Amino acid sequence: MSDVIHSITSPEEINRAARQLRETALEADLSPDVVLEVFERWSAALDAPGLRDVPGAAFLRLWLRRGTLQPILLRELGPESLHGGWREEGHARLKAFPLGVVGHWPAGNIEIQPVLSLTCALLGGNGCLVRVPSGLVETTRLILEKLLEVDQAGLLTKRLFLASFDHARTDLHAAIAQTVDGAMIWGGAESVSEVRALPFPHWARVVVFGPRLSVAAMDAGAWGCRNERPSWCRRIARDVWQFEQQACSSPQTLFLERGDDCDPGEFVEDLKCAFQEENRAHPRREIEPALTSAICQARASWLLDDAANRAWFPGSPDWTILLGKGVDIPEPTQGRTLSVLVAEDLMEVVSRFDGTVQTLGLAIKDAAREETLAAAAGRHGVDRVVRLGQMHVFGSPWDGVDLVRPMVRLVRHVCSQD
Amino acid sequence: MSQLAEPRLAELEQAVGALLDKPPYAVPPSERREALLALFKQELSYACDRSQQFRNYVRHWPISLSAADAVADLPYLPVSTFKANPPLSLVETRDIKRTLSSSSTSGQIPSRVVLDAATGRRMTRGVTAIIRDFIGPARRPYLVIDIPENLKPQVELGARGAAIQGLGSFATETVCCLRRDDAADSVLELEKLLACAEKWRDSAVLVYGFTYVIWTQFVQPLQRQGVTLRMPNVHVLHSGGWKRLEQQAVTKDAFMRGVASVFACSADRVIDYYGMVENVGVVYPDCEHGHKHVPTFAEVIIRDPLTLAPVEAGQQGLVQVCSVLPTSFPGFLLLTDDMAELIGQDGCPCGRRGTYFRFTRRVPKVEVRGCGNLETTRSRQGTGAHE
Repeated sequence: MSDVIHSITSPEEINRAARQLRETALEADLSPDVVLEVFERWSAALDAPGLRDVPGAAFLRLWLRRGTLQPILLRELGPESLHGGWREEGHARLKAFPLGVVGHWPAGNIEIQPVLSLTCALLGGNGCLVRVPSGLVETTRLILEKLLEVDQAGLLTKRLFLASFDHARTDLHAAIAQTVDGAMIWGGAESVSEVRALPFPHWARVVVFGPRLSVAAMDAGAWGCRNERPSWCRRIARDVWQFEQQACSSPQTLFLERGDDCDPGEFVEDLKCAFQEENRAHPRREIEPALTSAICQARASWLLDDAANRAWFPGSPDWTILLGKGVDIPEPTQGRTLSVLVAEDLMEVVSRFDGTVQTLGLAIKDAAREETLAAAAGRHGVDRVVRLGQMHVFGSPWDGVDLVRPMVRLVRHVCSQD
Repeated sequence: MSQLAEPRLAELEQAVGALLDKPPYAVPPSERREALLALFKQELSYACDRSQQFRNYVRHWPISLSAADAVADLPYLPVSTFKANPPLSLVETRDIKRTLSSSSTSGQIPSRVVLDAATGRRMTRGVTAIIRDFIGPARRPYLVIDIPENLKPQVELGARGAAIQGLGSFATETVCCLRRDDAADSVLELEKLLACAEKWRDSAVLVYGFTYVIWTQFVQPLQRQGVTLRMPNVHVLHSGGWKRLEQQAVTKDAFMRGVASVFACSADRVIDYYGMVENVGVVYPDCEHGHKHVPTFAEVIIRDPLTLAPVEAGQQGLVQVCSVLPTSFPGFLLLTDDMAELIGQDGCPCGRRGTYFRFTRRVPKVEVRGCGNLETTRSRQGTGAHE
């Protein structure tokens, strides 16, 4: 990689890059253990000035640690996979081989997503052809430069080609699609559909992440407990702040199960303090004017629609808490706008989920009840059920799909001799 | 609704009337600020008495009415609030005389505001005071570049009709120079137009049309036919935005020159103004220096999108329009989806006092993104296609 991100103008450049990547991938096996070693060094290098402020950088450092990724590999590919060995299975043996070249279409609004996406395919030994959204070019370049520093031998960097080109160049999107053996697509409904409609080879494995949204829920035992409440509120604030509430795993609504002698207004006062504190620690540095408009509109329509609705917000668009009653998820606003809805029964809330909910963040005092809720959530399309404060902890499976396994082929070898 | 409403409305009427009586661009900002703050507080308080929902909104505003010491502190509504159906109202249904609706582009929900008789009267007074300052007080022939259907009094009136009728008080006689053909398209009535041009050649004439209508159905057909009207004393007012003309790569300068050439008038007689139905009775014509000025009975605040605090001169932000004129709906303080640059107070070489500014662009509609969102062309513009 002479330059970290290539500015592309013709399909030929993509074809050439894909050929090179495929040759590299076929040239020699790359064991996950070797990838993990480089990732570990990359993680350490990312703890650098200029990178610490990148949204999600702390998470990316954690993600790249062996302690995070090794268990994922062991679960998805088996214990022998770390060193690229064969795994015995009855009379046969199995080994993971890369698909070849994997195309990546990361989301345009999550800074670290191009890198997260490509790491999954690299762990499978694949070459990666990444279309970097224009707004993420600089951040991605900063992160990839650190990989160049720690991977002097080019073990991983030889397997990467990051492309930047004008969004209107459907011919270049199509060129990527035609040259890959697999694809990881992250995006909104319309955008995902458009990428899926590109001319992929018939054998290409296409994995789609998104679009989804996430919600949080607490039973009265959790939110009504005055001692524990501030701590839960801090966790909720963290989940709301990370990724500016634009991630699939960002909570848009918090459901509170009604409880005797529990005042939701009192709870929201604590939540307000947590939001103020989080805002002091992580102030917003810029905002799209359209988001400001949407936040103002969300505040107004909430209070005007029902005179019983309540809201807490400062004069700025920094954060908003909308309090009311209900069991349905309101239209999300994002931009640190959390709807807090009091519901009679969380089971009724969960039973209305229709497959759009990716993550359910929970704070449930009663363990048996949590088990019931988690099972109901799974039945109603939820792919992750986690503790509040951990809604963004990226892990496998994500969106109900393994992250490494779909980008490898498990080759089965039955020996010709007894 | 409170029984005290009627006497309070009379007080408001008096206070608004006092501001409308003043010349629209001559009051010192400090004097105006105090008058507006007091009046807006009264109006907001009145609106809270009339609407439980609006009271709920004001009650949750971070600064209470009593603590507010500037108009910028007062609770404002986003303009899209008026897309609700039924429209937000402060009057009984029987008192609604007219409903104005915005010219929404295809697929969007139009805004709707309700007018009672008093608000309607103030609206006319407001527009008349502003336009008079730009073209003079005399009544004159009025050439409408639109179809006659938009001239008819209607209970539900669109933005085009409202703009056309809002200038009616300047007219001695009114002629529409477009008509609908059999395919329901608008076409220019050339003979009728030439007859008017002949008759009004030496007169002062007021001309009004939507910007893109003037260009596509008046200027372009006349230019194609090589017709010049020789009406040097016209004032051509136009509004409705530039989006459609920008799509055709027609600049503001090219538009003004084109219009001036078909009328054989000077380009400074072509006046672009900004107005929105929700901001009843207030329009913002360009002065000869290309600036938009705020009249005595209104205010414009430009807010930083990051903080929503008012910006300093030279900075850009979201436009908040403020008007004391409506009492039939809570349209006193409205945050729009437009961006503008605040130029200053009291400094324009045209001599008009008060806030002056320049529009820069419209804020694209926001789309909720999941993680995520592949960068898309339409998501930037608000509908979400692929980047």
